[in-house]
Amino acid sequence: MKRKFHHPEPTERELSGPRYWRSPDELANAPEFKETLEREFPEGASEASEQDRRQFLKLMGASAAFAGIGLTGCRMPRRYVLPYSQQPERIIPGVPIYYATSFPGAYGSTPIIVETHDARPTKIEGNPSYLAYGGTTDGFAQASILDLYDPDRLQVSVKKGGAPASDAEVATALANLSKKFSGNKGSGLALLLQPSTSPTRARLLADLKKSMPEMVVAEYEPVAYSNPVKALTAISGSTHRPLYHTKNAKRVLTLDSDFLSSGPDQLRNSRGFGKARAVKDAHEASKMNRLYSVESTMSLTGAMADHRLRASTSQMPAVAALLGAAIIEQAHGDAALAAALKELGKGAQVDQKWIDECAADLASHKGESLVVAGEHLPVGVHMLVYAVNAALGAEGHTVEYKQLPENTAVELPALVEKLNTGEVDTLVVIGGNPAYDAPADLKFAEAAAKAKTVVYHSYYDDETAELADLTVAASHYLETWGDGRAFCGAYMPVQPMILPLFKTQSELEVLSALGGKPLGEDGAYELVRATYTEFTGKKDDISFNEWLTIGVDEPDSYKAGMPTPKMASFGIPQKLDKAEFKAPALSENSLEFRILPSTHAYDGRYNNNGWLMECPDPMTKITWDNVVSVSPKMAKVLDITPKPIRMDEMGQLHMNDNTFKLGREIAHMAKLSLPDGTTIEGPLHIQPGLADYTVVLTLGFGRRKTGRVGTAIHYPKEGKGIGFDVYPFVKSSSPSVATGGTITVLDETFQVANTQEHWSMEGRAIIREANNTEYESNPEFVKAMGMEAHSPPVLGTARKEPLSEVSTDIPRGGSLYDTPAFTDRQQWGMNIDLNTCTACNACVLACQSENNIPVIGKDQVLRGREMHWIRLDRYYSAGPDSSTTEIPEDPQVSFMSMACQHCELAPCEQVCPVNATVHDDQGLNVMAYNRCVGTRYCANNCPYKVRRFNFFDYNKRERGEFYKGPLGTNYDKTEASQLTRMQKNPDVTVRMRGVMEKCTYCVQRIEEAKINQLVKAKNTNNVEVPDGTIKTACQQVCPTDAITFGDITDTTTEVYQAKESDRNYSVLGYLNIRPRTTYLAKLRNPNPKMPDYTAQPLTRAEYEAKSGHAAGHGEGHGDNGHGEPHASTESHGAPTHAEATPEHH
Amino acid sequence: MANVFPKWANLAPVKVLIGLTLILGTVVAGVTYYATPKYLRVGYQPVQPVAFDHSLHVTQLGMDCRYCHTFVDRSEHSNVPAASVCMNCHNQVLANDAKLAPIRDSYNSGEPVPWVKIHNTPDYVYFNHSAHVNRGVSCVHCHGQINEMETVYHAKPLSMAMCLECHRNPENFIRPLDKVYDLTWKPESKQAQLEMGETFVHDWDVNPPQSCSGCHR
Repeated sequence: MKRKFHHPEPTERELSGPRYWRSPDELANAPEFKETLEREFPEGASEASEQDRRQFLKLMGASAAFAGIGLTGCRMPRRYVLPYSQQPERIIPGVPIYYATSFPGAYGSTPIIVETHDARPTKIEGNPSYLAYGGTTDGFAQASILDLYDPDRLQVSVKKGGAPASDAEVATALANLSKKFSGNKGSGLALLLQPSTSPTRARLLADLKKSMPEMVVAEYEPVAYSNPVKALTAISGSTHRPLYHTKNAKRVLTLDSDFLSSGPDQLRNSRGFGKARAVKDAHEASKMNRLYSVESTMSLTGAMADHRLRASTSQMPAVAALLGAAIIEQAHGDAALAAALKELGKGAQVDQKWIDECAADLASHKGESLVVAGEHLPVGVHMLVYAVNAALGAEGHTVEYKQLPENTAVELPALVEKLNTGEVDTLVVIGGNPAYDAPADLKFAEAAAKAKTVVYHSYYDDETAELADLTVAASHYLETWGDGRAFCGAYMPVQPMILPLFKTQSELEVLSALGGKPLGEDGAYELVRATYTEFTGKKDDISFNEWLTIGVDEPDSYKAGMPTPKMASFGIPQKLDKAEFKAPALSENSLEFRILPSTHAYDGRYNNNGWLMECPDPMTKITWDNVVSVSPKMAKVLDITPKPIRMDEMGQLHMNDNTFKLGREIAHMAKLSLPDGTTIEGPLHIQPGLADYTVVLTLGFGRRKTGRVGTAIHYPKEGKGIGFDVYPFVKSSSPSVATGGTITVLDETFQVANTQEHWSMEGRAIIREANNTEYESNPEFVKAMGMEAHSPPVLGTARKEPLSEVSTDIPRGGSLYDTPAFTDRQQWGMNIDLNTCTACNACVLACQSENNIPVIGKDQVLRGREMHWIRLDRYYSAGPDSSTTEIPEDPQVSFMSMACQHCELAPCEQVCPVNATVHDDQGLNVMAYNRCVGTRYCANNCPYKVRRFNFFDYNKRERGEFYKGPLGTNYDKTEASQLTRMQKNPDVTVRMRGVMEKCTYCVQRIEEAKINQLVKAKNTNNVEVPDGTIKTACQQVCPTDAITFGDITDTTTEVYQAKESDRNYSVLGYLNIRPRTTYLAKLRNPNPKMPDYTAQPLTRAEYEAKSGHAAGHGEGHGDNGHGEPHASTESHGAPTHAEATPEHH
Repeated sequence: MANVFPKWANLAPVKVLIGLTLILGTVVAGVTYYATPKYLRVGYQPVQPVAFDHSLHVTQLGMDCRYCHTFVDRSEHSNVPAASVCMNCHNQVLANDAKLAPIRDSYNSGEPVPWVKIHNTPDYVYFNHSAHVNRGVSCVHCHGQINEMETVYHAKPLSMAMCLECHRNPENFIRPLDKVYDLTWKPESKQAQLEMGETFVHDWDVNPPQSCSGCHR
């Protein structure tokens, strides 16, 4: 699949069309442009070929030009069909092409497959050829495609002050650098890069180092994954990192680690975890894994945990030592080491019984248990975790140690020191944004100013670009050649899907130019090819193209196995830094600030990505902002706890401020200070589940210079980046936690766009849960829950029929409403397994990408108008005995992914006055956008509240100008829209103002699959789409395979099997609306010996208490479910709810 | 003087006016309803940049539809051929004909030939060619006797009613697969079509969608 091409001269029409993608130089037909034409689009573009970006824009240009002629008057517009001049190979207009590539990460690439329509990438999916991730991705990879079409990206290289630099100038500048420093062996040159797994980059750097041996190479990543590596290096003497096989782990203990939803290898972790947690039927219930989690924050991993212990991050090393000692002792490991650890853990203030029982459980599952520590924890903790895992016999079963290639790059502080001493003449920053995200104590900006020249390679015109003498515009990874390695080391390509949209260069091109070998129009193609040959020893085109096609070369992963140190206790007691284990006592006047990457902006790099900014954080449900999360206990101290009513000095009653007013979270502003005098101001948010004196702050906001999304137009403090910047608290010695902090509540309040104001399920059977032991003894527990267990049977006499029949024929529940006929040969349905869903948000973003869901901005979210088709509901439960007026300190968390349920007897359809929402014959509840007149009756009548209304022309109007209506800018006519519209999925209608929309079960994918099957069938009756052919966007991306979709009339399909499970239930099933999406009840697997054991999950206990089951039960119910003799008294008896967590401080 | 006009004459102008309005309204409504085309695009016959003659190429020379509309059986679009396809023959045949200049220009310059689009479905309609031509629906059903047209025009209304006419009763239209691109083929009789159609609908399990999601997404 080698792509060679030549660029045709722009034609007359092209030049007369919109000029957005062409440079001003070219407009002027400047002679330099002609000289540099070859360099302008250096990359091998999507195979795609000649029909590339230019062809696409050619079409666009022409149609825009002709639109003017046609629309002048009341004539029918003249439309044109513009075919190719030369038919390119492989492109079939209207049929998408899929290419394998990879999404580069600092510590591991994610293999992906990109859908391209007419050579423009529109959707990213995981690459199923890489088995460990099984074709899934995280939310960031999903959203990265939006960055490609970001109108705010750097479109042309700029000089200091913002003047554009031509390609020739950039090339000359890089060539001069190369000449200058190859002469003096690189003395005075410093490179600052982001960590990368690319072997080609490593090779280029090594070559560069050969000619410039005195050059300084530094790497910096704000959220580093370095402590586990440092620990293993200290133990074994060579560079290793752990790789977890969670699918083999029956017992997992995490120490302040969110390994399921953050970190470089989260997909493997959560996928394996999901496999080990999934339960098919009651016989398998006891095989379910068990997760213990000790954490200071409220992470998604903590939410999945069967036992969760709150402890502050500063206490964590001591807690880890205690746990380590207990586990090693119980596992009959190294007694000396256990004693040493016990000594270290003395300062920990935790419940010893929790520690002992947890340790006993892990130790009794040797070879099947795993301990994972958070990347931010000190090196010593990772050393002891190594020893603990060794004692548990984890290596080779649940953990593997992979040897990493040598990396000689220095860290940022060393580079800053050199900058400060004036040793650096020229600083070349490639990627990253150190002026914003470097630790505050390094004062990077001041240090960089000491270099004579700063050259910066960046995707955005950001804070660092302000310092740079020359900022070279960077290409997106979908525009360039490159390579990378997965976390496990599997070698994978980065292929261009499209020619660079602007005059940009990739990292490899810049490095190559620095080395004096500027790359030609094929970009880094030849370099990657050479690296591939070096890696695999294969020189032929066939294997190379096969690698590009499959997208991954798994055998070439990092070497597994680490030499076990021969010393007693691995030499760990001598190597530990005891100071790390000091457990400082925290109090309300000496708080701990835990600093995390944000689920929106990560470390700041996605700050201008509207999808990510608007996607609610899975736990806080906050969009567009970061907040200061405090524990309920701390909230009381600060007196910001919501009270229904408060009386002022005059005796007048007011609603309390820190609460929801008309659906908006009104947050108190607070000033946070550290002992060294640094302060930050931000809105306070009360987050249940935090360690009492831990305050959680997220990075990536408060940018001084970023694009329009990151600087929201409607934002109260106009011109400032949204949110607040936490980097002033990031110190190079301790980047993720700062201690000794205090909080002062300010007099201001601030509105936070929170999409879920109510956190309790109020004892209703929406999410149904049980402990696995109960499920084992009473597999029918789900049927005994909910109103439908107490009402006449929903299906009447048809309830005994199999699902495959119920879903098509039937007495339709005796409804008066004229019910639709489900006559199609295949009937679609979905099932979501609440037991394995980790609430990672990937489905929400995949759905947004697939279905052209608009971004509406904070102002609209504040009004409750968010458009996401999937809503991830988060519920806290504190048990029936907890106070109803207090925010729980240590709740259990349950998640539910909620989208249109495609009810067979849909309430929305009955109220639509214009038949805009109707059923089709394959069981889908469809929206005919053209019929919709926007009465919104359907949304009002939807019991699940999953319908979304286009209050404005979100696609046609500039955000911030919605209220101007037609008087505002027509976004369609702006240059920016030419870019953003390229991302839109052509198979899905872009909705306009005034129409309702909602989940369609990805009807475009269903129809595509059906049509493909018809094309195959020709004159046969082989027209049924085989199971597994259709994957909805959310199903495809789900790392734990919690979502199944398919034909529910066919008893062999995966979804049928799932729906046949005894844990299957319909949400609000008693309404007799018969949703096609059903859920599998969530199971928890608590350890009865633990002090915080509860006989029932707390939501369940709340349900039982509310429905009065605790006080005796059994009369007057329908026979559906209750007809069975109660197998377990436990499920109906009074819940033995032990008070959950001991006090820590 | 006696009254020249009887009393009823006072109202006569009003009555006449009302009567005329009614008659005129009925005529206008009647003409609009009965005498105007159901679909305004029918008969649309724009001037194309090159006067391509389908009757010459198909009927006289015997070319298959798919020589030019290559992807009709593989894609939702039936593609209009690239200039390079025309040039396969016309680099020899009529190689210097002035009428073919736009094709040669396009071939040499890379600029597309701006063919005027005749058959157009609205943006919210996701019509798929491959699903039809592979299952016994011929080009002629929607495009008319293109093979006999010297200049292509819009022959059928392409309205939703027309789609449904066939989707509701496919047996009236469906034909053997080897006759799909044979635009001159006709069933022997209505009865023969019906019998054959019913067999195909049964044997091929033809069940064209009649609900919204079939075409609107």
